Amino acid sequence: MRILVDRVRCQNHGQCAISAPTNFELDADGELRYRESFDDEDASDIEDAVDSCPVQAITLDSDG
Amino acid sequence: MTQQLAVPHLDISSERFRMNSREMRRARADHWYARTDWGIAVLTYEDCKLLLKNPHLTQGSAKWPAHHGVVDGLYDRWWRKTLLVLEGDEHNRIRRLVNPAFSPRRIEPLRPRFRALADSLVDEWVDDGRTEFAGRFAAPYSTRVLCMMLGIDEHDWEEVYQLSSTIGLGIGITIKENIARIDDAVAELTRYAESLVAARRRSPRDDILSALVGARDEDDGRLSDQELINLIILLVFAGIDTTRNQLVLTVASFSEQPDQWEKLAADPDRYAAKAAEEALRVNPIARWVSREAGETFRYRERTIEKGTTIHLLTLSSGTDPAEYDDPDRIDLDADRSPHLAFGGGMHHCLGHFVARADIDVAVSALSTRLTDLRVGEDAEWLPDSGNTGANTLPITFTRRP
Repeated sequence: MRILVDRVRCQNHGQCAISAPTNFELDADGELRYRESFDDEDASDIEDAVDSCPVQAITLDSDG
Repeated sequence: MTQQLAVPHLDISSERFRMNSREMRRARADHWYARTDWGIAVLTYEDCKLLLKNPHLTQGSAKWPAHHGVVDGLYDRWWRKTLLVLEGDEHNRIRRLVNPAFSPRRIEPLRPRFRALADSLVDEWVDDGRTEFAGRFAAPYSTRVLCMMLGIDEHDWEEVYQLSSTIGLGIGITIKENIARIDDAVAELTRYAESLVAARRRSPRDDILSALVGARDEDDGRLSDQELINLIILLVFAGIDTTRNQLVLTVASFSEQPDQWEKLAADPDRYAAKAAEEALRVNPIARWVSREAGETFRYRERTIEKGTTIHLLTLSSGTDPAEYDDPDRIDLDADRSPHLAFGGGMHHCLGHFVARADIDVAVSALSTRLTDLRVGEDAEWLPDSGNTGANTLPITFTRRP
């Protein structure tokens, strides 16, 4: 599974960085930076990030 | 070089001031911000959007009671620890635990119950051709939705509503003279919240409160009992009056645009969510979102000093012609940029998915049953302060066949 963020929808609120700081962060300019791949141990945090996004811009994609 | 116009002044502390006024529009056309008696008011969409998430700004309401001479007591102790005013690691730890409980995944299954409630309230007065919408729909609906989510017996809704209104006096400028009543309400809600938590711990249900108790108990120490109780009080305080008034404002806005109300009624599944967003954009209950400069920083042509209060005006940003076509009109078919009525950044409204769902269910139910909406001349509007709305909203209508 990998993380996909719809950059058009994303408003850089940063709730994902609160839920799953291992994969999401806001840089010095307040822009989202994220890593697509994640370890199993972080899966539940990543799901919380998906759920918590105010604009629902994050999806998980099975990368085969 | 264009001549830099003088920065306008807006008298937002006056009871007579209206955000939805020519004066506000003139100020917005001239400049990106206005001076006020309470710091600066940011007017344009672009600047509000940027400043909402600016890392130099904090939420800045923690000192509100102290500014009004309230420096101890139950309310003050509760307020200083609410998620709303916390910053940094403490805020993030709690927010992280509670966010999932307010996600669409949790809210969506409640929609049929919201709808049944909305229909039953409309049934009570639909044959009369008139009602007092705030008291006969908006208040019971918003309170009972919250009761549903927390698993409070809906028969107790009037008591919960009263407690919520009393605690709400804490963010008004009369906090000092009401503080004894406010403290009593916090004490009573604390007892209530403690009994709810104990009940859920004994027998969990599929509700938000059980999810929160689960978050509390799953990994002892991540969320203390005190933090959980504090949060329940916050939900009662922040989740009732807000939705009640947003419903009132939504109905008032649509009464002025019958063509859009009819469009909504003809296809509520398609338009209800958009209707809620458009009402939040042109007529938001929170007329401004406040921030405070945590440090001195440069923004555009000016230096913003540490400690400066910054109000981001939601109605002004939501109707900015630089961002929206025909900005003052509700247009259910237009593709609009997201409004800023729920704030943004790490303090983005926690309950927005609930608010959105219950407003869109309510307008589906109402538009399906009522046409020819008119607001009476004797509506009692609240002043345009941080939170607005109406004490009473008499409406007349025709029942749809």
